Amino acid sequence: MKRIIVADDSATARMFIKRCLQIIGLGDAEIIETEHGKDALAAAKEAPTDLLLTDLNMPVMDGETLVKWVKSSPKLCDTPIVVITSAGNPAKEAQLIELGAHRVINKPVSPPVLMEALEAFLDEE
Amino acid sequence: MIEHNPLYQAMKDAVSQTFENMAFTEVIEHFDQDYQIPEDQLAWTSLVVKDPVPGEIFMAVNKDALKELAGSMFLLDEDEITADKMSDILHELLNTVAGLFMTKLLAENQAFQIGLPVTGEGPLPEFDGDSVSWKLITGDEQPVQLFITGAPLVALND
Repeated sequence: MKRIIVADDSATARMFIKRCLQIIGLGDAEIIETEHGKDALAAAKEAPTDLLLTDLNMPVMDGETLVKWVKSSPKLCDTPIVVITSAGNPAKEAQLIELGAHRVINKPVSPPVLMEALEAFLDEE
Repeated sequence: MIEHNPLYQAMKDAVSQTFENMAFTEVIEHFDQDYQIPEDQLAWTSLVVKDPVPGEIFMAVNKDALKELAGSMFLLDEDEITADKMSDILHELLNTVAGLFMTKLLAENQAFQIGLPVTGEGPLPEFDGDSVSWKLITGDEQPVQLFITGAPLVALND
């Protein structure tokens, strides 16, 4: 069973992402919801994580800082990260990819877009 | 009649795309551009645009419509819908609309930064000359009103 962390301060956004994950065939995954990057980081340290989906604009610890933390940790650096944001643009996307994010997708998220973004991870099974 | 300039179209497209995707309803121009949501039915939120220009974006909807939306999105009965859930939905709708609006309005590689949405209290602020409004309506005939304020943000229209 895959372990997926979803970090977004909005319960609505998390619910939407979970629904999209179910639609694209990841309904059986263990999904850990967190409201900000700090809790997501703590959850990632608890057990190996197959995928980290994070918003950018969050209180306490934003998504960009979360990407930096995860990618600078020898234990966590292999965790695939997909950033889902309403504040995305090509320049920001390039910056996040440079930091180690695997993909950046814009809100509103939809099942086909999420499917396409996660194809590489889904193909592994 | 509001002109369909790039600024107007960018917001209309952003709201349409967001509501179609998140609320599964289309959004069109309100047939009555003088319509105001009654104050006792008003739910609104705002967020600050920080970069590349300062400004603020407001979104207002009808409270009952928001409650209905919360129920259908979270699959909850009416008595299970809390004020927090309603606020969260409104915040996420505005957050998504604002991101799409800025993306559509700015040049492709231009970065922007928006703040976190904040729930509005009481009536909407009085908007002055440096503001633009959008009066829209959903496929369920529920009004959705948007406002932007701040001369530099409005000037992105030029």
